[in-house]
This record gives sequence, C-alpha cells and structure tokens, in this order.
Amino acid sequence: MTDSSWRPAAGVGAAVLRPDGPAKVSGTFPFAGDLAVPGMLHARTLRSPHARARIRGIDASAAARLPGVAAVVTAADVPGLATYGLIVADQPVFAAEEARYAGEPVAAVAAVDAATARRALAAIRVDYEPLPPVTDPELAMAPDAEPLYPPDGVHGQFSHGNIYREIDLRHGDDPDRVGPVVVEDTYVIGMQDQAFLAPEAALVVPGADGGVDITTATQWLHSDREQIAACLGLPEEKVRLTLGGVGGAFGGREDVTLQIHGALLALAAGAPVRIAYDRTESFLGHPHRHPARMWFRHSATRDGDLVAVQARIILDGGAYASSSQAVLGNSVTHAAGPYRVPNAHLYGAAVRTNNPPCGAMRGFGVPQVTIGHEAQMDRLADALGMDPVELRARNAIAPGDRLPTGAPMPAPMPARELIELVAARPLPPPRDPAADPHGLALPGGRGAGADPARVRRGVGYALGIKNLMFSEGFDDDATARARLELGPDGRPRAWVHSACAEVGQGFVTIAGQIARTELGVEEVVLAPADTGVGSAGSTSASRQTWMSGGAVRGACVAVADRLLARVARRLGLPAPVIEAPRRVLSLRCGEIVGPEVGVRVPLAEALAEGPIDAEYTHHHRRTEPLDADGQGDAHVAFAAAAHRAVVDVDLDLGLVRVVQMTLAQDCGTVVNPLALTGQVEGGTAQGLGLAVMEELVTVDGIVTNPTFHGYLLPTAADVPALDFVAVTYPQPDAPYGVKGVGEAPTGTATPAVLAAIRAAVGRDLRFVPVRPADLVDLAAGTGGVDRGPGGREPADA
Amino acid sequence: MKGAPPVLYRPGTVGEAVRLLAQPDAEPLAGGTDLVPALRAGAPRPRAIVSLRRVLELRVRGVGADALTVGAAVTYTELAEWSPAPGLAAVARCVGSLQVRNAGTVGGALGSANPRGDLLTFLTAADAQVLLCSARGPRVASVAEFLAGGRRRGDLVTAVRLPPARGPQVFFKIGGRQAAYPALVSCAVVVDRLTGRVGAAVGGIATAPLRVTAAEEFAASEVDWSARGAFRGSAQAVARRFGELVSAAARQAPAQLPAGQRDPVDYRCHAVGVLAARALARCLAAPAQPSMPVGVGA
Repeated sequence: MTDSSWRPAAGVGAAVLRPDGPAKVSGTFPFAGDLAVPGMLHARTLRSPHARARIRGIDASAAARLPGVAAVVTAADVPGLATYGLIVADQPVFAAEEARYAGEPVAAVAAVDAATARRALAAIRVDYEPLPPVTDPELAMAPDAEPLYPPDGVHGQFSHGNIYREIDLRHGDDPDRVGPVVVEDTYVIGMQDQAFLAPEAALVVPGADGGVDITTATQWLHSDREQIAACLGLPEEKVRLTLGGVGGAFGGREDVTLQIHGALLALAAGAPVRIAYDRTESFLGHPHRHPARMWFRHSATRDGDLVAVQARIILDGGAYASSSQAVLGNSVTHAAGPYRVPNAHLYGAAVRTNNPPCGAMRGFGVPQVTIGHEAQMDRLADALGMDPVELRARNAIAPGDRLPTGAPMPAPMPARELIELVAARPLPPPRDPAADPHGLALPGGRGAGADPARVRRGVGYALGIKNLMFSEGFDDDATARARLELGPDGRPRAWVHSACAEVGQGFVTIAGQIARTELGVEEVVLAPADTGVGSAGSTSASRQTWMSGGAVRGACVAVADRLLARVARRLGLPAPVIEAPRRVLSLRCGEIVGPEVGVRVPLAEALAEGPIDAEYTHHHRRTEPLDADGQGDAHVAFAAAAHRAVVDVDLDLGLVRVVQMTLAQDCGTVVNPLALTGQVEGGTAQGLGLAVMEELVTVDGIVTNPTFHGYLLPTAADVPALDFVAVTYPQPDAPYGVKGVGEAPTGTATPAVLAAIRAAVGRDLRFVPVRPADLVDLAAGTGGVDRGPGGREPADA
Repeated sequence: MKGAPPVLYRPGTVGEAVRLLAQPDAEPLAGGTDLVPALRAGAPRPRAIVSLRRVLELRVRGVGADALTVGAAVTYTELAEWSPAPGLAAVARCVGSLQVRNAGTVGGALGSANPRGDLLTFLTAADAQVLLCSARGPRVASVAEFLAGGRRRGDLVTAVRLPPARGPQVFFKIGGRQAAYPALVSCAVVVDRLTGRVGAAVGGIATAPLRVTAAEEFAASEVDWSARGAFRGSAQAVARRFGELVSAAARQAPAQLPAGQRDPVDYRCHAVGVLAARALARCLAAPAQPSMPVGVGA
C-alpha cells in the first residue's frame, strides 16, 4: 500500500519549520505595529480614568483646532451602531453618557505625528461626574443591586439585571446528593492577562469607494469586519480586512479594540491612519481572563468513587459582555473535570461589574474550574487516605461515560492513561550543590541566598479536559480556497487562500504541509489572510488545525479530484473512471499515476490547459444548546492533558521555583511535532505563570500594574524544560485525526504547580496566583490571610 | 511624551555637562533605563537632555588606599566583574536583565532614587559618599543626605566613593520571579574587619534605604570580626537574632512604603529579617583574610 502511505518530505506529520521563522528570529518580520505608508496620520485614544463616571460633556473643540490635528472622534461621530460586541453588542464604540470601567475609550484623535496626537488628547475636556463603582460581583448580582447598564439597551440578551448569564446545571438522579466522604472549600482566581508581546495595532486606509482597507492584528477577520461595518454604517463589502503580523493573541485579540476607532478617524480625515497601543494601553484595551470565586463540594464513597460534585462559580465579567456568556458555559460544563460523576449540581453566573471587561483567554473558562476541581481532588485523596494519582485514575472519565451535560464522552478520551503516564515518568534528581554553586536553581535564584536545608520539594498532579471548537449549537465553519497552477518557472505549485489568522500557532506551516500532502507538489504559496475569501472562524478554541486545516484539505482534495477527472477525460478513460478517478489514478511526487491503466502524466503537463481551483467549507458535527437544566450535547470534542509539577519552596520566604514539568497530552494525529512542542510548552508556561506570578491587580476597578515591570511573566529561568509525552489516538471525525492542542495544557499546568506547592508546604491553597506571603508563617497577630484591597478574602476562609 | 522635542546636548567633559545642566529644566541622560520609559509613558519632556555618554571622566573606576571611587557612568555590567568591590559586584549581578545591566549606571541609580533600588541599599550599608558637581562647584554628600535632599537642579552625580572592602560583603534581594525582577525587599551587610564595624541596610521597606543600627551594633558587639569572626553562642543564633532586630526595625520604620496586593507589609518585614539573617550567616562563614577583599554572597 505504498500509494496511500506516501507522504512528501514536508507533508503532514513532518517537523517542518515555520516559513516565517527566520524573519521573526532575525527581526525583519513586519508586525502590524510596523506597518507604515507615506502621509499616514498617527492616532491615539483617550480613556476614562474613572471606573465609573457619568459623562456630562465632552469638549473636543480645542483639540480639533490644534495645528497638525486631522480628526477627533467621539461617540457623537459614530454613524452606525453605537455599540459592538462578540456575542451581544453592548460595548459602546466610545463611552457616551457613562464610562463603565477605567480605561474605557472616550475619544480618539489622528494627527500628523504621535506627539501632536498626545497633545490633542490632553486638550480634550471631559466633564466627568465620578460614581461609586461596583467591583464586587456578589454585590452586583444581588437582586436589589442597581443596574450598571440600561436594561432596555440589550433587552432579552442577558439573564437579568447585572447577570450576563446564569446556568443551573443539574445532572443525575440526585444532583444535591452528598456522599460519605466530603471536602468543600472556596477558591479565588485572580485576573490573568494574555500579555501578548506585540501590542494592538492597525493601519487603516480610506478607499475610493467610501470604504476602508484595514490591516490589523486580530484573531478573526470576518467577525471584526461584521462589527466594524455595523458601527461605520457601511455594507460589509466596503470594509476590507487583511491580517497584519500578529505577535501573540491568546484570546486577547478576539474582541475588537482599536479597529473601529482607526476606521472612523481615517474616514473623517480622508487619510491613512496608524493606530497603535503602547504596553499600558494594551493592558487596559483588551478583555482579560475572568477572575473567579468558586465554591466546590466533592463527595465520594469510602472506596474513593465520586458520588457527586456541587459547585457555585461566579465569574467577574467586568463592564461589558465580550464572550462572558460562552466562557460561563465552559466553566459550568467543565466544573466536574475529567471524572465520572453520577450526580452534579453546578451553578454559575457571569456578572457585570465596573472592573475591566473579561472575555477570551487560552482555556476560555476552563482553567479556573480546573484549578478548583483539582485542588478538591487532592484534598479528597487526603480525606480518603488515597494516593492522588490513584484517585484520579479510578474516577477518570472514559468514552461513553456521561458528562454532567448528560452527553456521552466522545472517543478517544485517554484521561486515565494520561495521569498514569505522567506519574510513571522519572522524577528529577535531588539538587546537586556542586552543579549550582551560586544557587541559581534555588527558589529566588542568585539573589535570595536560599538555605538548601530550608528548601522543601513537592510533587503535584493535575488532570483536565478542554472542549475543542465552539459549543452549544454554534456552527463555526471554516472556508478555504486552493488552486493548482504552473508557477512562473513552469513548475506546478499549489496556492492556498484562507482567512485563518496566524497568531503564532503555526497555521501557515500546516497549511503548506496539507497542500503538499494532498496535491503532491513541493511549492505552496499561501495568500495573505484577508476578507477576500470566506470566514475561517476564530483562531481560538483549539479549532484552526481541525477547522481551517479541514477546509484546506477539502479544497485541495477537490482540486485533485477535478484534475484527475480532467486527465481521465483527456486520456479517454471509461466514464466510471472519470466519475471516480481516484479508483485508478493518484497524485504523487508531481505526477499523476495509474498503474492499472498505464497512466503516468507529469503534473506540469496536466496543468498546461489551465489551473484548477476549488473552495471548501468545513463544518464540525452539530452540537446542541444547553437546556434549562444545563443538559445537552453541547461540545464537539475534548482534549485531555495531565501535568506533573515538581517545585522547590523556600520555607522561610515562601518563594517557589518550578523544578520540573511533565505533560502527557491527548493530541490526536500529530501534524507537525515541532509546532506541537511549541504549543504545549507555551501552554505550560502560561499556566505556570498564573500559578505563581501573573495577576492584573485592580483596586476599586483601577488596574495598578499595567506594565511588564508590575505584571511579571515567567522568564526562561522560571520555566523548566518540559518532559512531554504525546498520546496520539486519531480523532475520528477530524481531518487526519487531529485535535487542537494549545489550550488543554494551560488548564492543567496551574493546578499541578499548586498541588506541588501544597505538598511542599503542607497548606491548602485557596488563591491563585499564590503569593509568597501565603506560604510562610508571619509574625503572630498579623496573620497572613488579609488579601489587601480588592476583596479577595473568601467568605468562609 | 508631552511638550516640544527637547534639545539634546552631548558634552565631552564634566565642566561642559554641569554648565548645560544649569539651564532650567535640563535632564541628564546616561543609560536611559529610567528616563526613556518615563518619556514613552507620557512624562513631561524636559527642555534639554544632556547625554553623558561622551564624558569619559565619568566612566573611571579607581582603587585608593582608603577608598574606592566609581564614576557615575560606570554600568552594572562593568561593576559585576570588578574584583576590588565584591559587594558592588554582587549587587550589579542582581540588577534587572542583562540588557538593563549593559545600559544602567551607578549615577542613574542615584539620580532616579527608586526606593527599592538595589544599589542604593548597598551604598547605604557601605557608608558611601556621593560626589556631586554643579556650576557652583563640587560637593560631597552621604547617600542618606543625598536621597533626603533630592537632587538639586543643576547637580550632576559624578561618582560614588566608598571604603575598600575589608571583610565580607553580602547583598540579597527577592522579587516576583527567578531572574530579571525589581526588588521587593533587599538587604546589604558590609563588614569591616579592621574597625570591627558592621553596616547593614534594607530596601523596599521605606521610601529610602533603611539603616538598621540596632542590628549593626548587635553584630559588631557579638562578633570579634578581627579574629576570624569569633562569636559567642552559635552562628545560627547570632544570625537569627540579627534578623529579628532587622525585622523589628523594619516594622517600626517611618515612611513605610504602602502595601501591595502581592506583598503585604507584614511579609516584607518578615522577609528582610530572613534575608538579613542569611546575609550575616554568609558573612560569618566567610574565610577571614583581612588583607584581602572578600566577596561572598550573591
């Protein structure tokens, strides 16, 4: 069967290098912020300094009169819909009557240079009447709470009052049942930011037809276009988007930020506009990961079989809806984790407050609950006197088991295999002082001078699942076009056009691998991602390799079919062969071969009469919305991951160093082992960051650390090399059997690190990220539980 | 950036530099690790920026019989390998990232006067003097005087002067991650075996480095530093008591920095005590060779 197993060297399964890798490494890759055209204007955004304020008036006349200022726009200048949003359009393009979070855009200006634009911002007078912000979601969701948004503005779109969505999932014969062995506690998750390295940027050029051409760094060109066109009052075909170079996204570019502002300014000024954020604006400008307060009660039989899980999950959605409703759906349906749970009562609410808006971030509502259910599983293991790995393996969900939504878990689901695999990997050797004379590998590094005798090692485990693709009935299809043609050198080449946003995940690499595999050519030209082709859907939800990969494959297969039919016709083969040419003909190594019929035609010859085009739209299987009890076949598929973390903790200072991370992950077919490694290493690092350092801190709704000096990300010194095992059962309904891989490890890295810290210090941890102050005994009388401003003290601690 | 573009001057001598700095609203620029981000973040632009890169006399390091002199434009990277000043070298190795160490300077640390600045904590413990020059002429101030008085308009920090290393010198700091982090708290201990004097200071507690005199006196009286650091009781007990005194001083410090979400004041006071105890223990464990500078620690 050599024909069917034939793969070109750079086809599916090969460790192909990124085509944009050399440019990115050498600094020549053009990110969206690097784009420039002669005569372009520079735009800046004016933001509310108040978490909540009535806007009594805006006077931009002085700013507009400044020499060098080309345009000033406010809410009054929005010709179309005044609001936008990913799911519900509740977010004003500019705050009009009320600013609802600190950092909300109020106006934007375009000027001949950035300094003039900044001066113009300073000349805009906004008459604010500060109002008391509501920053505690429990207060905001109280029945008598004052509505933070006009109730008629988005009537019927939200559950009620300040609640974006509420789900009360009941599963099993007795959702509120409590088994004989019970653990129960409350967990608090801080606000993580995507912290992508290239801040938001766009270049907007007004078109001769009254439309706009926008080049921007985004995750979903067509969703941006839909929202931009609605606010500009333009038909969608007059709003053309091209993907600019994207320097990381992680969900933070799924929402529109500066695109509409830039387009309004370009249309008002009649000139190209560059609009870009600096680091602080980036921290204020896009939605973050939802902070969460979660109560869990797990109960089991004395043998260690889970009886029931009850949970109450409150997500702080901040001032505008963004994707809060979908995020909550994930949080609630994943709250019991990758375990067989006969009974569950899982309540969740996503709440409007005057905190910064929260929305999509890698994991999309799942990392929060994974932290909770995994902390609970460790404590349940303690209560049962059972090994934490054994408890997880014993209860691990298997294909066919019912999820809390009532739907059967689809295959493959190697959850048990994964946790057993990581547990069997070798542990790191004890620290060797001779190999590290300066203590760089001790907690706190060189500077902390840790006493090795006061450093304790801990090992922790976490198991999790993450849904793949959009859920709850959403048909997030993806379209791509492919063409087989002769290049200028007369050699056959493939041309692929997709609107899939390359945000670093590697679609540009795998699209080429797929085209080479299906069309048997070496050269593949990937057209720029733009709105000139159908939507690819969002680069999120672990979906693009499956969805846009499927679209590229479908388009390439259609091209190959047409070409083979053309050859069959030309050779005068019988009609049944022309109808189903693959029965005797195949495309391989730049040739069309059919040994049974004695055919061997070079591809170049077959293409001489012209190129062949095809377009294909890939759909995943349909899912269902959740019913009133949170029941329904809501998720397309799942990926599972298991992490083991080994940490060293300085017992006197509470400093943590992660010594080793081990990951076993359910990856489906591996399209590109290098890209896979990049994704799982990055996901692990981002989860580690949430465990021990990453937190966007707000005080009364104001972000206090919107810089990389104040918001610390893990460095190479903080993230150990990853010991990774890929488990590769093909996903039956996916192209090549692939699974998305980027999100699952983000969810499990955090709880594994927490479990390891807990094992080292012998304390239950209820706050993420863990602070050193939580891990040491502070002087008597001062405690160590006061979480300071921001009200992170859980009610029952 | 706000305001008109500043005029950039590039003097070649200290004399030219101080004349240029005498004009209203002129800022000196060395490594730019503080000034450039501040301007990018929208700080008001000065009318003039005086770049010190060409002033070669600011880049000298000198070893005298009774003092070390470090020019204001010496970078952390240069200090990190400078054997006559093991304590300064230890501090320099802990500052920021490699890129910051390549650009940041001694004079910049003093001029920016970040209350958590690593170098300031060490210079305070080491009884360093700040050499300044203005159009009115040179003057000398202790680090505390300099920080309390603020940099006067027209003043240029030209160098710091500190006693030569005559015993162990240790600097420890902690922050939010393993490397390339701003200090949350820091502690410097400088022992002079000839005089028996112990200097100790902590950073990150108050709005300026805090001298911990009670702890200094304890360490000087409990230990005979001239005789291989002989002490009454166990080294562990001496170090622990030293740390307790430092923690107590931190708790009572005036002008405390406000609590942060990740670093309550209690924790900071506790942590400087731990760092101080470790630093003294490191000093006690150092080999006694009074004629040789001894650099231990980070």
